[in-house]
Amino acid sequence: MAKKTYDLLFKLLLIGDSGVGKTCILFRFSDDAFNTTFISTIGIDFKIKTIELHGKKIKLQIWDTAGQERFHTITTSYYRGAMGIMLVYDITSPKTFDNIAKWLRNIDEHANEDVEKMILGNKCDMEEKRMVSKERGEAIAREHGIRFFETSAKNNINIERSFMELAEAILNKTPSRDTSTNHTNVHVSQSSGHSSKCC
Amino acid sequence: MAAYRARIKEFHDVLNEDQINLKRLKSMCFNGIPDEPGSVRALCWKLILNYLPLSPSKFLSFLEKQRKLYSSFIQEMIVNPGKQHFGKSGKIDVTFEDHPLNPNPDSQWVAYFKDNDVLVQIDKDVRRLCPDIGFFQRATEFPCQDVVNAAEMETLRKRVDCSVLQSHTVMKNRQGAYNWKSSKKSTVEYDLLPDGKEAHWEVVERILFIYAKLNPGLAYVQGMNEIIGPIYYIFASDSEREWSEHAECDAFFCFTNLMSEIRDNFIKSLDDSAHGIGNMMMQLMNRLQLHDPDVGSLMVTQDLKPQYFSFRWLTLLLSQEFPMPDVIRVWDSLFADSKRFDFLIDVCLAMLLLIRDDLLKNDFSSNMKLLQRYPVFDIHLVLSEAVRLQKS
Repeated sequence: MAKKTYDLLFKLLLIGDSGVGKTCILFRFSDDAFNTTFISTIGIDFKIKTIELHGKKIKLQIWDTAGQERFHTITTSYYRGAMGIMLVYDITSPKTFDNIAKWLRNIDEHANEDVEKMILGNKCDMEEKRMVSKERGEAIAREHGIRFFETSAKNNINIERSFMELAEAILNKTPSRDTSTNHTNVHVSQSSGHSSKCC
Repeated sequence: MAAYRARIKEFHDVLNEDQINLKRLKSMCFNGIPDEPGSVRALCWKLILNYLPLSPSKFLSFLEKQRKLYSSFIQEMIVNPGKQHFGKSGKIDVTFEDHPLNPNPDSQWVAYFKDNDVLVQIDKDVRRLCPDIGFFQRATEFPCQDVVNAAEMETLRKRVDCSVLQSHTVMKNRQGAYNWKSSKKSTVEYDLLPDGKEAHWEVVERILFIYAKLNPGLAYVQGMNEIIGPIYYIFASDSEREWSEHAECDAFFCFTNLMSEIRDNFIKSLDDSAHGIGNMMMQLMNRLQLHDPDVGSLMVTQDLKPQYFSFRWLTLLLSQEFPMPDVIRVWDSLFADSKRFDFLIDVCLAMLLLIRDDLLKNDFSSNMKLLQRYPVFDIHLVLSEAVRLQKS
């Protein structure tokens, strides 16, 4: 049984059209590296990263989803448990930006009402191919009252920052439970063998 | 070594009969097709995927017919539309009654733009096909002549480029003067081959595009690239030129045959039907519960849902779980399975049982990692465990 080495667990979800760079963003954040040769995500992928925020160790369980419509029945089932959702578009592809409205509707339909949302305009290193201005990104985010960043997984711009801000927003609305209650939970699950659900 | 040579001879004997005994061939393929010489596996796959007729004397006339048919698909779906829209001058005659903004649903332009949506998706995926082997980035020895030689034609590659407009950013410097911001050359992610040449991924792109056009209800779904990839790879690496030259056409028809059996996995509305992927995942979980109740209940208590890992395993016939040579070996058995793809569930079950000790030790996240990035195993161990399970 692995020891609990964290205080809180946050479940995050990455969504957006296919090819906008969701897997690359996650890879940059979790492994601090960039790789152009990613195969397409089929169904759902998963990574873990533990961060420290305000003296608390927070384990981020991050789900990376496939972008294509076909996988929506598979992926929308993850919306419900997510505490934070990152909606990614590609600043060089207007279509992926236009689809933000569609993705936001998906969130409204399938996610918890109080889920923390964030919009990311990825590939901002490709300035010469830009088709969506930063202002348009900011405008749609403002309209929906959502945080917004332009990011580059390639040049490592705003990746860490966006994850940290999302985690912070979730932390702020997490009722400040007494940490001792958490420890009690840990002991309970340890004594009952491998039945831990909170990982 | 003698046993290996005997096995190759056995294959040759079966393949050289006037009427090939498919049942016998399948049972031999199930145990693995010899890697050498290069032609045997490609030939066996073409037979067990029900593409080639069973009498070799009919191969020639059959292949001639199929290749003619495929070439007519290329003309009809790629060359002619490409010429029409590219035009001799490279411009479109807008006085023509059909035009890009024609709202009529019968407009050829409407169809053209719809096709481009499919094409952009295919393009994204084929460019990132099997990055662990260099094969798909290399030029094919046999580019499609109809396409590369038609100078006044818009190739699929160009069609995708056209759907992304080039732009420059205008920068204002401190003196208030406006400047084009220089474009960096480094943004070209893939080395495009010179005109007249085609990379293997472009061939795969064409196969998928034609398949999507011929199957509009299904069109293109992500993951199909991972199914066509290994088939085309085997056919295009055939050591005999008269086969490898036609790898594109043969791979197209074998892919079509294979898809007719697994296409339900790619259709969202069938997810919960008797044939859909949901049912297959349930079968896998039920059998796991039966064979290893400890792991079965662990899956429930840790909430390790089958969608988290077996969705990909089953949909892609395990093509993303193992390195290419192992995938090919697994597919020998899958294609040869008499109750086709029942064996796939056996293999998935074997994969779970082989890591059961780790699964029982780990917490949820370590288990997710383990299942999504399956550890390196001797593939024969996985397969022999699967065979044991199949018989049990």
